[in-house]
Amino acid sequence: MDKIELKNLLFLARISADEKEHTKIIKKLKNTFDLIDEMQDLDLSDLEPLNNPLELNNVSREDVNNDRNSKGEFLNNSPESDEDYFLVPKIIE
Amino acid sequence: MNFKEQRDLFRTKKVSAKEAVQESIKKINGDNLNIFINSFQSEALKQAEFIDNNFDKFKDAPLSGVPIAHKDIFCTKGLPTTCGSKMLENFVPPYDSTVIHNCNEAGSVMVGKTNMDEFAMGSSNETSYFGPVSNPWNSDLVPGGSSGGAAACVAADITSISTGTDTGGSIRQPAALCGVTGLKPTYGLVSRWGMIAFCSSMDQAGPFSRDAFGCAALLDAMASYDSKDSTSTERPDKNFENLLDKDFGSLKIGVIKDIDNFGINPDVMESYEVSKTVLSGLGHELKEVDFSELSTGICSYYVIAPAECSSNLSRFDGVKYGYRASDQKDISKLYMETRSEAFGDEVKKRILIGTHVLSAGFYDAYYLQAQKVRRMIKNKFESIFKDVDLIFMPTTLDQAFEKNRESNDPNRMYKEDLLTIPANLAGLPAISFPNGFKNNLPIGGQFIGNYFSEDLLLATTNRIQEVSDWHKMTP
Repeated sequence: MDKIELKNLLFLARISADEKEHTKIIKKLKNTFDLIDEMQDLDLSDLEPLNNPLELNNVSREDVNNDRNSKGEFLNNSPESDEDYFLVPKIIE
Repeated sequence: MNFKEQRDLFRTKKVSAKEAVQESIKKINGDNLNIFINSFQSEALKQAEFIDNNFDKFKDAPLSGVPIAHKDIFCTKGLPTTCGSKMLENFVPPYDSTVIHNCNEAGSVMVGKTNMDEFAMGSSNETSYFGPVSNPWNSDLVPGGSSGGAAACVAADITSISTGTDTGGSIRQPAALCGVTGLKPTYGLVSRWGMIAFCSSMDQAGPFSRDAFGCAALLDAMASYDSKDSTSTERPDKNFENLLDKDFGSLKIGVIKDIDNFGINPDVMESYEVSKTVLSGLGHELKEVDFSELSTGICSYYVIAPAECSSNLSRFDGVKYGYRASDQKDISKLYMETRSEAFGDEVKKRILIGTHVLSAGFYDAYYLQAQKVRRMIKNKFESIFKDVDLIFMPTTLDQAFEKNRESNDPNRMYKEDLLTIPANLAGLPAISFPNGFKNNLPIGGQFIGNYFSEDLLLATTNRIQEVSDWHKMTP
C-alpha cells in the first residue's frame, strides 16, 4: 500500500490522519496483512462462503406502529438538534 | 464469596439485597485496578430496596438479590454506556438492552458497568479510553480482554457474577487470565439487542462467575428468544442450573493432535496435561482429533471482524448521538474530525482494514476467501463432532502478560486469540475454567461443544469443579 492508496482508504473510512503519520499507519496495516495473507495459499474454490454460523430465517412482524422509538429521546441524544431535526453544518454552498 | 452462597444468604433472609449491594459498593470504592467505568450506587441501593420489599416475588428468581456488574457494552436506560470509547463518553441510552432487562427481571442488582477494550477490540483491556484494567493477581499484568473489567470484577470478589461479550474470545481469554469461569453461548442464544455491535455475525453475550454454577444461573437469566434481534434463536427448553447435576455418562472428549505446535507456553501445556488426567479419572474417554486448520481461523477472523466493524461503526458520525468535533464548517470535515478525534488507534486500524478488504479489487482475495475459511472451520467442527461429544484444549497460549506488550508486537496480541477464535467463526458454545496455577497466576482450559450444548459444557465443568480447587483460588 502506498500513500495515495492510504489517502483514498482514509477518505472511504471517513478518518483523517496527519500526513506525518501516514508511513506509520501503512507499516501497521502491512503488519496485519502479513498475518492475514497466510490464508491466501489455501485452495478453497470448492467451498461456499459462510457469512453467518446459523441457518437464518427471515424475521417479520405485523406492519403496525410499535411505539418503541421515542423521537424526543433520540433528538436529546444528538450533539445539536432543533425541534424535529438533527443539526449539521451546511451541506450545499 | 461464590454466587450460590450469596444467593442462599438472600433466600434465607440472612443477608438482604441492600446489604449485599452495600458490600459490593464498598469494594468498588476501594478498587485500584480500574475495573469500573461507572458505578451507579444510589440507583443500586434503590433497586436493592425494591427487591427486599418484594422478597416473595424475587425469592426464587435465578439471580435473586445478587449484585451484578455489566460490561459497559450493554445499553442501560438513563445511565451512561460508553463501550470504552471517547465516542460514547457522554452517551445515555433511552432503553435497556435485552440482557440488562432479563438480568433485572431475574432479581439481580446492577452496581456498575465494567471497563473494556474500546468497542470490544482488544485482548488486553489496554485500548479502553478510560485506561487499562490491572489483573487482580498482579497489577503489573493485563486481565485480558475485551471483557477484562468483567473478569477482574469476579476475580477480585467485587461481585459474584458479571456479564461480558465474546467475539473472538473476549469472555474466555480474560476468564483464563483472571482465574474465573466464563461461557460464550451458541451464537443466537442470548439476544444482541441493545448490545453495541462490533462484529454482528460473531458477537455473543455470556456470563462470568467463579464457577460453573454461577454461569449456569446467569445464563438462565440472560438467554431468551428476542424478536428484536433477527439472529435470536428459540431457546432450548432447558434450565441450565437444574441440569448441572445431570449425569451425561462417560463422554468422548476430543483433544487436538499436535497441539503443542501452536506455540503454547509449557506451563499452560502442563496444566492441560494434568486436566486430561482429571477427565480420564472422571471416566471420560480422550480421543485425539486432527484440527490442523485451526490456526487459519485467525486469518479469517482478522478479515471478517474488521469488515463488519467498519460497517457497524460507520453509524458514529457526530450527528445523531455520541461525540461531535467542534467548530466544523462542512459536513465531510465534521465526519472525519469527529471519528479521528473520538476513535482510538486500534479501532481506527480495524476500520481501515475492514474498509480495505471490502473495497472493489480486494473483496474476493480477502473477504470472500475469509468467508470460505470460515466455512472450512465450521465443516471441520461438524466432522469432529460426529466422533466426540466435546473438544478440550487450553484457552490461551500464555498466562497473563505485561502491559504494553502490544506496542512491541501487535501480531503476537492477535495470535493470543488463536485457540478461542474458531468457536466464534463457527458460532459454537465454549466455556473457559481455571485448570491450573503457575507463578501464582491462573491458567485456563476450555471445552467447545456442539450447538446448544451449554448444558453439557456446564455440567462437565461442574463435575471437574467438584473434584478440584482451582476455581476456589483467590488473589
